[in-house]
Amino acid sequence: MTWLTWRQFRVQAFTAAAALAAFAVLLAATGPHLASLYAASGIRGCQPASCGHLASNFLQQLYAAGTYWVLYLLGVVIILLAAAVIGLFWGAPLIARELETGTSALAWNQSITRTRWLAVKLTLTGLAAMAVTEGLSLMQAWWAAPIGRAVGHGGGGTNLAMGRFSSLVFATHGITPLGYAAFAFALGVTAGALIRRTVPAMAVTLAIFAAVQIAMPLWIRPSLFPAEHTVIPVSSLQQISLQQGGFNDSSFNLDTENLPGQPGAWLLSSGAVNAAGQATSTAPAACTTQSMRNNTPAFIDCLASHGTREAISYQPASRYWSFQWTETAIYLALALALTGSCFWRLTRRLT
Amino acid sequence: MTAVIETGGLGKRYRRLWALADCTLSVPAGHVVGLVGPNGAGKTTLLGLATGMLAPTAGTIEVLGGRPGAGPAQLARVGYLAQDAPVYAGLPVADHLKLGAHLNPGWDAELARARIKRLDLDPGQKAGALSGGQRAQLALTLAVAKRPELLILDEPVASLDPLARREFLQYLMESVGEQSLSVVLSSHLVADLERVCDYLIVLVGSRVQVAGPVEELLATHHLLSGPRRDPGSLPDGMRVISASHTDVQSTLLVRTSGPVLDPAWMVSGVGLEDLVLAYMSQAAGRGRRNHLEVQR
Repeated sequence: MTWLTWRQFRVQAFTAAAALAAFAVLLAATGPHLASLYAASGIRGCQPASCGHLASNFLQQLYAAGTYWVLYLLGVVIILLAAAVIGLFWGAPLIARELETGTSALAWNQSITRTRWLAVKLTLTGLAAMAVTEGLSLMQAWWAAPIGRAVGHGGGGTNLAMGRFSSLVFATHGITPLGYAAFAFALGVTAGALIRRTVPAMAVTLAIFAAVQIAMPLWIRPSLFPAEHTVIPVSSLQQISLQQGGFNDSSFNLDTENLPGQPGAWLLSSGAVNAAGQATSTAPAACTTQSMRNNTPAFIDCLASHGTREAISYQPASRYWSFQWTETAIYLALALALTGSCFWRLTRRLT
Repeated sequence: MTAVIETGGLGKRYRRLWALADCTLSVPAGHVVGLVGPNGAGKTTLLGLATGMLAPTAGTIEVLGGRPGAGPAQLARVGYLAQDAPVYAGLPVADHLKLGAHLNPGWDAELARARIKRLDLDPGQKAGALSGGQRAQLALTLAVAKRPELLILDEPVASLDPLARREFLQYLMESVGEQSLSVVLSSHLVADLERVCDYLIVLVGSRVQVAGPVEELLATHHLLSGPRRDPGSLPDGMRVISASHTDVQSTLLVRTSGPVLDPAWMVSGVGLEDLVLAYMSQAAGRGRRNHLEVQR
């Protein structure tokens, strides 16, 4: 059965190998220069006071050069798409095409049970799917390591400055790509076994996979672990975004993107609270005088002196791998459940 | 002699429609069995149940004494050529033989190679580029070379031209002779089966109408013609399968195990085709009557 599986799969396998090789060549051609730029940036061995500045400069330099920003984004998109493409083109046709062309009747009447037939096909193709996606992810992680370190040193200010918890980075690094690939593949196979037609099965696979990939970062991932809450003085905020408006600029919105003392933490929400600890968006009258307008530091100081503080809920950076493992486990569990339903369908409810 | 297929009250329902109902059969080994019936009679369903491709809704079925498709050993004993002879269009002929060799412990590589050579098939050619006849031959080779005890073929010649049809059946009969196979093959045309079958099952409207060795069927069915009379006045033990009447004459097709003694009848033998047609129209007539009763 291994032979037949390989014989049916080898064109796809060669295609995937070629894609991996092309990706590797692209990254290998540009990676060393990226690393040398990092080495020249002086971030390594920097003094704590200047690290953030150096890192931001480095990221700004990369962003301005264009190429690295495009390559970085391209890598991320390729990894995200890899799982979907595998689900569509490896998963959905695996059983559906056999049923569609009637070759299942040929395969299932050799001296080998359907269970074994499916087990071998699922194992070999599924492992290849996981290996390809994780392979892409590891290559990208190697290439983008300087960017990650710069972000870790507090670099910011450009689109490249995405923390490890940002949706795009979290979903393409670590072990999550493994889980996505397994899930997408199992989803495709199951859709094919149920719908019994390749193209509709591909459409259903794409729709469900996209829905899950959107729901996960928006609603599920943030609540995998209970968030931490803290209230800090507004004067200690480092990167703020302040919006003012209304009559005399009396209403304001004060958000922050990182939490002092917690580098790399995943901020879920932030907002100003008054002295009583209640969320507020109305500035004290003293802070809306003429001299405060267009002078953000003075406005912030004024808020601080009137007891306004910033409430932040966040996930500490130390939970990164807990999040990675939990999310991957969820996807693997879904993949296993789907696989089980395929076996059930093929053996109990014979076609 | 043991039975290759033994069923008891076997039935298969798709949603609310019974594709096969109350089928009780015992097909003895060592025969080439023709399963004949019109399109949609349930032939494919019965064969699907016998290979384990389908699971029965009601009743029991045993093939060569085992549950169909129960495990590798059972699968190895039954060869199946599905309708339209599916093959992997993207794989060359040679890879189909490799597939057979990898998946069947009893694979007869010599036989497979010899057959492909005799059929003049190019081993390097993709199966998708073969003609219908060649594809059927390739699929038959796969089914025969796994050395089954029972070979089941679903409408194997339906899509073949007359020449390919003859060649296919010729090869099939050669394999039967060489390997002492039992064979069950289905067709909606009696003419296809007449030359090769020595056992016949007529399946109409999801029910078995008649089953038995061809010789016995021919010996016990007679065409009677004589002065017009009521079919009800025939002696016991004589079953009327079909009757047609003119003003003065009656023509009856009857089944009886004894001789026809009434001198009023002119007795003649029945061809297999007429016999099958009689059963088909009888079943169809019954179906119409039931339908009318429901409407009333």
